[in-house]
Order: sequence, then structure tokens, then C-alpha cells
Amino acid sequence: MKKLFASVALGTLLMGGFLFMQDNQSTELAHGEAEPSVLRASFTSPINLF
Amino acid sequence: MEIGSFIKLQRVKKGMTQEELADGIVSMSYLSKIENLRTEASPEVVSMLCTRLGIELNSEKDITIKEKCEQWFNMLYVVNDKEMIIEKYNELNELLSVVRSDSMMLFEIHKIRYYLVLGQYDNALEQINSLNEVSGTFDNLHLFYWYKFKGNYATLNNEYNQAMNMYKLAEDKISQIHLSDSEIADLQYTIAVTHSKLLNTLEVIEYSNKAIDIFQREYNFIRCAQCHILLGISYRRIKMYEKAIKHYNLARHLGELNKNNTIIQLTNQNLGYLYSSIGDSKEAIKHYLGAIDDESVGLNERLIAITNLIKEYYKTGNFEKALEVIEKAKKILELAKNNVFYEVYYYIIHSYVYAINNEYEQFTTLVIENLIPYLKKHKDHGNLILFTNMLAKHFEEVGRYKDSVKYYKLANLTYEEIVNL
Repeated sequence: MKKLFASVALGTLLMGGFLFMQDNQSTELAHGEAEPSVLRASFTSPINLF
Repeated sequence: MEIGSFIKLQRVKKGMTQEELADGIVSMSYLSKIENLRTEASPEVVSMLCTRLGIELNSEKDITIKEKCEQWFNMLYVVNDKEMIIEKYNELNELLSVVRSDSMMLFEIHKIRYYLVLGQYDNALEQINSLNEVSGTFDNLHLFYWYKFKGNYATLNNEYNQAMNMYKLAEDKISQIHLSDSEIADLQYTIAVTHSKLLNTLEVIEYSNKAIDIFQREYNFIRCAQCHILLGISYRRIKMYEKAIKHYNLARHLGELNKNNTIIQLTNQNLGYLYSSIGDSKEAIKHYLGAIDDESVGLNERLIAITNLIKEYYKTGNFEKALEVIEKAKKILELAKNNVFYEVYYYIIHSYVYAINNEYEQFTTLVIENLIPYLKKHKDHGNLILFTNMLAKHFEEVGRYKDSVKYYKLANLTYEEIVNL
């Protein structure tokens, strides 16, 4: 029984860690296009290069 | 802003401990209660604490400060002259360090955006960290800007998932506070940009359309043009090319009317990419050429356009023209020597130099040891596919089939990763 609880807890932890990592990973994608800036109109912020 | 939070903020800003501020006026534990809004201090105590902090309590001045703050906040969105923004900032900063004002906290929060506009990212982070201590006392209006500017910081650090979380928290606050339409549209536009970076195409269309409605009503043509660019990118991604071209042309038209070179350059760059993706190299080159010559736009933007142009000439086998452009690119690269993006452009440009001049040893070394690790680290899938394919093709041509398979496989895996995103 103890082993069952331990493996369920470990599984939950691992899954939690995995989901956390997925949520927090930075996404720097190059799609060859360049979006305008979130700041002022005269700035641009090209993808993946800063 | 509550007086307790104000005292805490001023004390932290001046680097005083609670003990130093409370000494001879109140007990330290009582000061702690005042700061954490667990008790209300008498006007005498407040006055004595403010005097020790060097702050003047004057409600008449507060009205002037509020107006000045609003002018300055607005400048952070529309004014392109950094000197003007800095001048106004210094004036306000001086005023707010000696007078108690309700606008104080909003001013402190807007400093995050101020530093971002000036490109001082370290200062922005420092400001975020110092405000973290008092963020528990923020009202809904404060929270709106707090989340929005923290999102801006994450965006500028290429952390788009985190930025999106922040923008969504800011969006949740809209129903609880009174905001102008232009403020709401600006957040919607910001969310649209972030969705675009995350490749959430349908959301980009939704948010851009929402924002463009307001920007049109407010005659904010530059933001309208930026929304059209986002729509152009989105329709290109779902292969609705005619619609994408229509939006790009609208953006360029608005850019020309307003003499905004950044908009014109951005439109040319994206139109070039669109034509390149549908195999029309002639049109792609025409637009890329229009994007590289304007010296008034940023170095990074010019380097993006010029490397795309090199790629296009290389793709069409026009090596002579490619080498001509490479010489030009090297000159621009020299100017960008101290920038963070210098490294990747250096690798890309030199990879083409070696490939075109048949210097295969240098080519393979540079691509394998420098370029591929860099692209993997920065999750630059597009360039990764391009260069691994180039490398694999080269190995295939010289009969190194094992190496060739290795890199074709890497290109395929990267492609699958993009498809699964």
C-alpha cells in the first residue's frame, strides 16, 4: 500500500514538474516574419532575435 | 494610494530601515502596522514620518502632479523623442521625491515601461523587483499596469508564454476599472502581437480586429498599420495569400501617409517573406531590396531583411548577386558589433560566404560547431531546418552519406516540432 502511495505521489510530482516546465519555457520561434513592437510605433521586434 | 504604502515605498526608495524611520516617533512594530495598513496613524505621526522622509504634504500640488503624470504616461505610448520623455521624467521624479501624491504609485509602475522604452532592461527588472515588495497594496488600476508592464518586460526578453499570462491578468482587470478605449485597444494589440509570436493565428486575427476597430475610431493610423501587419502575417500562415497581401498593402499605404519608415520597412520585409514562401523569388527580392536600404530603421531590422535577401539569391543560384549583398551585409554587421543579435547574423552571413566560395571545411565547421548549437538553444526552428538541410545536401554531394542522413534527420525532427506546435 505504501509503495502505491509513494508511486502515485512521485507520478504527481513528475507530472506537475513537466507541466510547470511546459508552461514556463521560453518560446523563441523563428518564422521568418517580423511583428511590430509592443512598445512604440517606431520600434519593431523581430522574432527570435533581440 | 494609502498613506501606509506610500511611507513604505518612500522608505524603501531612500534605503532606510524601519528602525531608522521610527526612531523617536513611533515604535518599530507600530510603523510596521502603519506600512502594512493594519492600523491608521494619526495626522501628527504621518506628518512627522513624512518630514523625516523629506516629503511635503500638499494637496494643491497633487492636482498639478496628476496632470503632469498623465501627460508623461501618454508620452510613453506616442512620443518618439526619447529626450522629451527623459526630460519630463526627471521633472516628475524630482517633484515626487518631495511631495506626497496619489499618482506616486502609478508613476513608480510606469517607470517599468519607461526603462523598457529606453532599452534599459536591467533597470526595468530592478524596478519590478523593488515594486514587488509593495505590490500587495496595489488597487485594480495599479494591478492593470503592473501586469501589463511586467508582460512587456517578458515580451522583450522573448518569454512569450510568461508575457501572455501577464497580459491575460491585465485583461481580467479591465471590467473592474475605468479605462479609455485607446488603453484597452493597446492591450488588445499587445495580446495580438504575443499570440503571433506564439503562432496562435486565430487569436491574432480576433485581437487585431478588436484593436483595429478602436484605433480607426481614434485615428491612430500607426497602430492600425501595425494591426494590418499582424493580420498579414496571420493570413499568410493560413495560406490566404490574397488577403495577407491586401493587409500588407493597407499597412504600407498608412505608413507612407504618415511617413513612418519603420512601418514601410516592416511591410516590405514581410511581403518579401510571403513571396519567398510561395516561390516567387522575383517579387520576394524586390520587396527585400526595399527593406534594406532605409538607414533610419534599426540595425536588427535591416540585418533580418538583408540576410533574407542573401538566402533568396542563394536559393535562386544567383551567387554573384548574393556575394554583392553579403559585402553590404558585412558593413551593416560591423555597425552592430556590440548588439546581442550580432552573433547569429555573423554565423548566417559567413555560412553563405563559405558555401558560395566552396570553402566546405569552414562551412561545415561553422555550421556544426556554432550555428546549429545557437539555433537549437534559441529554438530558431526555421533557420535550423534551412541550415541542417544545406549541410545534409552538402554531405550528400560529397558522398558522406552517414553525415548526410544525420542532418536530414535533424531537419525532419525540427520540422515535426514546428508542425506539432
